Amino acid sequence: MLAYLIRRLFNAVITLLVVTAVTFGIFFLVPKATGSDPALLYIGKTSDAASVEGIRIKMGLNDPIVVQYGKFLKGLVAGRDYANGPDVQHCPAPCLGYSFKTDQEVTPLLMGDLPVTLSLALGAAVLWLIIGISTGVISALRRGTILDRSVMGAALAGVSLPIYFTGLLTSAIFVYWLGWLPQGNYVPFTENPGEWFVQLLLPWITLAFLFAATYARLTRANMLETLGEDYVRTARAKGLRERTVIGKHALRSGLTPIVTIFGLDLGALLGGAVLTETVFNLRGLGYQALTAIRGNDLPIILGVTLIAATFIVLANLVVDLVYGFIDPRVRLA
Amino acid sequence: MAGAIVVIFLIIVAVLAPVLTKWFGHPIDEYHIDQIDPTFSTPIGKFGGISREFLFGVEPTSGRDVFSRILYGAQTSLSVAFLSALLSTFLGTIFGLAAGFLGGWVDAVISRVMDFLLAFPQLLFAIALVSVLPDSFLFFGDRWSRVFVLVGVIGFFGWPYIGRIVRGQTLSLREREFVEASRSMGARSGRILFKELLPNLAAPILVYATLIIPTNILTEAALSFLGVGIPPPNPSWGGMLSDAVTFYSIDPMYMIIPGGMIFITVLAFNLFGDGLRDALDPKAR
Amino acid sequence: MASKKRVMAAAGVAITLGLTTAACGGGSDSDDKGGNSGGAAGYNAAITGVVNPSTTKGGTLNLWSSQDADSWDPVRGYYAFVWNLNRLYTRKLVDYSAAPGKDGLKLTPDLAAAEPEVSADKLTYTFKLRDGIKFDDGSPITSKDIKYGIERVWASDVLSGGPVYLPGILDPDKTYKGPYKDTDPNKLGLKSVTTPDDKTISFKLTKPSGDFLYLLAMPGSGPVPQKRDTGAQYGKKPASSGPYMFKDIQPGKSASWVRNPNWDPATDPIRKALPDAINLTITTNADDLDSRLLAGTADLDVGQVGVQAAARTKLLSDPNLKKNADNPVSGFLRYAGITPVAPLDNIECRKAVIYAADPTALQAAFGGPLAAGDIGTSMLPENIAGSDANYDPFNRKQGKPQVDKAKEALTACGKPNGFDLTITARNNRAQEVKAAEALQASLKAVGINAKIDQYDGAQQASITGSPDNVKKKGYGIIMAAWAADYPTGSGYMQPLSDSRFIPANGNYNLPEIKDPAIDELFDKANVEPDPTKAAEYYKQINTKIMEGAYYLPVVSAKALNYRNPRLTNVYIHDTFGQVDFQALGVNDGK
Repeated sequence: MLAYLIRRLFNAVITLLVVTAVTFGIFFLVPKATGSDPALLYIGKTSDAASVEGIRIKMGLNDPIVVQYGKFLKGLVAGRDYANGPDVQHCPAPCLGYSFKTDQEVTPLLMGDLPVTLSLALGAAVLWLIIGISTGVISALRRGTILDRSVMGAALAGVSLPIYFTGLLTSAIFVYWLGWLPQGNYVPFTENPGEWFVQLLLPWITLAFLFAATYARLTRANMLETLGEDYVRTARAKGLRERTVIGKHALRSGLTPIVTIFGLDLGALLGGAVLTETVFNLRGLGYQALTAIRGNDLPIILGVTLIAATFIVLANLVVDLVYGFIDPRVRLA
Repeated sequence: MAGAIVVIFLIIVAVLAPVLTKWFGHPIDEYHIDQIDPTFSTPIGKFGGISREFLFGVEPTSGRDVFSRILYGAQTSLSVAFLSALLSTFLGTIFGLAAGFLGGWVDAVISRVMDFLLAFPQLLFAIALVSVLPDSFLFFGDRWSRVFVLVGVIGFFGWPYIGRIVRGQTLSLREREFVEASRSMGARSGRILFKELLPNLAAPILVYATLIIPTNILTEAALSFLGVGIPPPNPSWGGMLSDAVTFYSIDPMYMIIPGGMIFITVLAFNLFGDGLRDALDPKAR
Repeated sequence: MASKKRVMAAAGVAITLGLTTAACGGGSDSDDKGGNSGGAAGYNAAITGVVNPSTTKGGTLNLWSSQDADSWDPVRGYYAFVWNLNRLYTRKLVDYSAAPGKDGLKLTPDLAAAEPEVSADKLTYTFKLRDGIKFDDGSPITSKDIKYGIERVWASDVLSGGPVYLPGILDPDKTYKGPYKDTDPNKLGLKSVTTPDDKTISFKLTKPSGDFLYLLAMPGSGPVPQKRDTGAQYGKKPASSGPYMFKDIQPGKSASWVRNPNWDPATDPIRKALPDAINLTITTNADDLDSRLLAGTADLDVGQVGVQAAARTKLLSDPNLKKNADNPVSGFLRYAGITPVAPLDNIECRKAVIYAADPTALQAAFGGPLAAGDIGTSMLPENIAGSDANYDPFNRKQGKPQVDKAKEALTACGKPNGFDLTITARNNRAQEVKAAEALQASLKAVGINAKIDQYDGAQQASITGSPDNVKKKGYGIIMAAWAADYPTGSGYMQPLSDSRFIPANGNYNLPEIKDPAIDELFDKANVEPDPTKAAEYYKQINTKIMEGAYYLPVVSAKALNYRNPRLTNVYIHDTFGQVDFQALGVNDGK
């Protein structure tokens, strides 16, 4: 078990290294391909030659790419200094770099955005798990009824609706026409929990609806499959109560694939729900990343990519571990 | 069935877009400033300016014909979705087969690459890549060049999904009796691959290829929504939705029409794909 | 939005300061334009006069913005609203008067006790400072602090982002390397600025300049105490010489100010300092900001770029809301620069482009007459001396494309069937892209096939600002906008049309105009002490630019802004094209 864990963690670190290296490579090459100088990206309107050179020195842009990548890794573990003569700026570990465009260190910047994304993703996940699985199970048990058909119809509609449409539609209805909810403007939980809740309600529901649809379809399909398995029939034949049959036997193995999907979905969302955050004006990791990509702000892109990939890799790991608990057939080795 | 009918209808509409536009609409880049209230930038007519002249209304600020733009948007949307599904399927089948059939280090490497691609924040990378890749090459105009760029990016990020399924199926098929039998009879790898494995893989590949089309439509629309879609003045549904963000509270029709089109199209493909799966894979019903 | 500074033109200031009127301070002297001096609210009331004049102190001013400041460091900020907000905490030797209308374009001695003494050769300016001027920590502001602040302009390698004008006049060869590389123990090594005593500061120019005082009025010319300078980090906690000092700065979220106890109103002829505290909240949702404004929970949008389309509809259809709105000219011109990429190197082909463009469709793309502004006719904004609102050489005001004239020009250019070209627009400016599409559609009507190239606006300096790149990529038409950094004809037009202003990167003379006559006119205007005569030169330059068909003027920008009815002393400051933030107060004491 321990050996397995160590091996997985080692693999995870390698994957993350490759992700950062590829990101670094791509975004190093992007300015080259468009024929622009990364230093110029940072200074805005002025084209003063001294400013450009100053930034080059401070950011280490004169170094070859490998050296720059090495410095990035060093900053991550040990922190680094951005120096231009007497002007020295220390960036403590884990240093994800310094965004000259926003004139801020990336680590605290992204840590400031993380709660937004966490609130969004976790809140929506709770909702979609409850709604998705329960409707899926009910549908499976009441297979063929009107209830089943209408739930599955709604679910199919749900998976066919893009969030950038439903998001606009729900805000138009609930914010503009009915006036039930305020204009989107995130308020931290620590500042005002009530306001935080109200602000996130619409994004949660909209996002959860899309995912719940997928989960309902998946749960129903899996349930139907397991309900047809021999051991469930055996359990029924033994005269066990229906609730026990469903709860203890069918649901347990029927849910295993859901865990996998859930882990991956949540991992991906935690790395930034670009579209949801854009539509609802939530300044989370996804929003930040999008802005950074449009502005070629490499340190921020790199930071978000690393965080996002970390979440996905971790989610994979956790999923595999959880697997071992709910499905005894899976052996971790 | 309903899905298939709508899908066929949409394809016909997209192909006939130039003719239909000529009969029932206006050129996609023709301005009708007289249809717009200069103070508010919104259409003068009710419901987004819908009239006999402009079947789906007009675009805010410019007065361009929404009907024509929706039709040409269908061209973009469907061609990107189909071609990228084709690309994903092609790559996914090749790599999935190779991994499952050859096993060993080939399998290890391919599986690793697939894991790695799935661990990538894909939408962000798609945006970044689309904005760097050239927007006109060979003899294609900037519209079709961008279509191919989108196909390349969406198709590339889509192959691991197919690849995983093909690999899994190949692994289980490889151990089946009929493959064992033909191998013991001395059949060469090529023969086993193409005569034994591929025919048995065709059904699931077809189903999943169909099912990634709606996903691709959504991805294309998302990229256009985020501003890296087809270059103007060529229309795309996602791009129209992104323009609608400014006006959705005062001119909701301009949001509802492209949004509704995306919804109907994706729904139709999902229904079609589900139906296909049920027909080809009775167990999943 | 505003990536460029803007300042509009003074009618009557070049070297002599308009000292007398505004020296007693405030907005009471507002009525010389014959406008609203009664102070009642009304649509556009703040353009001509002061709305709700008051001297009541107290309360908290709630400012909002949908964009964070580029930097709070006076030398690094470049946004118009940031320069405007700098007036709260940065005093300069001279600053713009606090008055509506053209009076706001005049400079008033601020830290200086009086107008400078100017030597006969117009090369030496000597200022005496006021008594009793102090920083927020109580230490007196000396001439050395001012010199040190000005020296920081030279350190653009460390302090990037702001304008770098002064070295061009005081040290064109840049022999001074900025205070951080200064070998002088007091870090006061800049030779051309001398401080014989704590109350005197003297500048030695290398050539006469009619613009010099405007450069001293920029925030970057304000005093900075050397012991509190933290280099690139200074913007996190700048010292204050004005009536308010920073209490807190949260990048991307907020900034707040409280009264500076060491500021003495008797030393300050400009600032009123009515509220006890000022908060600036930054939101990512412009619609949220609008709804707060209309609901009265936010006082003012400091961006001053106008409300969004949704709020525009609401505001204009309700007379009770409309009376709290203003639609001032912002000082920005939006235009399309026509580059020398063939066949646009031929004047007739350029004329074809200008005639073919549909003025109304372009205006609509930016939001119509209220949100976008009036149709542009020439390259000098209306408030700059020398401009003429009736000068419309291409007959654009009538609002229709002139296809026949365009075709004639095409024939004269030798391209009767049209040609291909590329239009660029910044991808972070949706309206600019829409305008490019409108232009594309109207060019198509005369056979000119345009392709639109969108690029990252943040990389402007190296993409459209690089003549080499423009040539390489074949960019024919570049959509752009410009506002003056200081209110003179040369402040506005020189970067756009002087052949000596074509750097390898960050070029704004997009057509790469190389007309010796224009250069010569600038030289004459810059040494002309009489502003009326200088204005005549600027008028000629504008005519020459238009006759060369180098630019397609699109709109003279306006913005529809809302002010909370509880605000007092609201007026549009013509220098910024925005409400004068420092003059504001609140009438309910909250």
